Amino acid sequence: MQHEQAEKSDTVVTWEDQQNINKFSKLNNRFHELEDEIKFAKETNDNLEDAGNELILTDEDIVRFQIGEVFAHVPREEVEIRIEEMKEVNSKTLEKLEKEKETVLAQMNELKKILYGKFRDSINLEED
Amino acid sequence: MASASAETASSSSEIATAAASPTTERRGIPAAQFVEDVQTFLSQLDLDVNSALAFLQERLQQYKLVEMKLLAQQRDLQAKIPDIEKCLDIVATLQAKKEGGEALTADFEVSEGIFSRARIEDTDSVCLWLGANVMLEYSCDEATVLLQKNLENAKASLEVLIADLQFLRDQVTITQVTVARVYNWDVHQRRIRQAAAAAANES
Repeated sequence: MQHEQAEKSDTVVTWEDQQNINKFSKLNNRFHELEDEIKFAKETNDNLEDAGNELILTDEDIVRFQIGEVFAHVPREEVEIRIEEMKEVNSKTLEKLEKEKETVLAQMNELKKILYGKFRDSINLEED
Repeated sequence: MASASAETASSSSEIATAAASPTTERRGIPAAQFVEDVQTFLSQLDLDVNSALAFLQERLQQYKLVEMKLLAQQRDLQAKIPDIEKCLDIVATLQAKKEGGEALTADFEVSEGIFSRARIEDTDSVCLWLGANVMLEYSCDEATVLLQKNLENAKASLEVLIADLQFLRDQVTITQVTVARVYNWDVHQRRIRQAAAAAANES
C-alpha cells in the first residue's frame, strides 16, 4: 500500500474524499491484477505461436495434442485449426485486458487530480 | 472464528452511531467506521490516542487475516475453473470421435513420466470423480451438463468472492486512513500544547 500516509490534520477529510481514496485503492489493485493477467495472456500467445511453428516444421501426420490430462493422437490439420482457434480466443482476451487497463489508468489519473487538488503533498498516491 | 467475528461486528455497530458508511457488515466482515472528526471519534470510543491506534491496528490485523483467507479461496477457484474447462474439452472430444465413428487414440500417464497408449472406442459414458472417494458413471451428455453446472457455480462463487474482497479492501483503506488521521491529529495537538506551554513560559 502506497498512499494516504500523512494528511495534515488541518485538512478535513470528508466521506466523499474517503470514497475516492477507496476507489483509487481498488483501481490500483486491479491495475496490478491486470498487469499479471496481461503478462500471462502474452505468454500463452507466445506458446501457441511456438506450437504453430513447430507444426509447420514437423513431418508427422498425426501429432499428440494434450486434451484434458492425456495426449490425444490428432491429425496435424486438425491441431492446426485448434491452435488457430485458441490463438484467436486468447488475443481477444488480451485485447479486452489491455482496454480495461487503459480505462483503469484513466480513472486513476482522474482521481489523482481530485485528491492531489485537495490534499496537495499531504497525500501520496505514487508507487514507491 | 465465526462467533468471534460476529462479536466484533456487534461491538462495531454499537460505536458506529456517527458512521457515514452505508453497510455495517458483509458476510461476517465488520465494516470500518468512517471518522468525520477525530476528536469526536476518540470521545465516543472513550479512548486515548494510543489505545485508539492499538484498536485500529488490531482491526487491520483482523482484516489482513480475512484477506489472506479470501485470497486463498480465490486462487483455488481460479485454478478450478480451467480444470473444469479441460474436463469439458475431453468429454466433447470423446463425443465428437464417437459421432465420427472413430476411436480416440491417446497416450496417457500410468505413473509419473511413464505413458501408455489407449484406444477408446465407441464410448457412451465417462466416470466423474465426485470427491469423497466416490466416482460415478455418467453418459457423455449428462457429464457435460454436470460439468457445465459446476463451471457456472465456480464462476458465480468467484464473482461473489471478488465482491467480498473489494468490500474488504475498502474497509482496510478506511482503517488505514483513520490510523493516519488519528496519528496526525495527535501530532497536531502536541504542537498546540507545546506552543501554548512555550508562550506561558515566556510571559
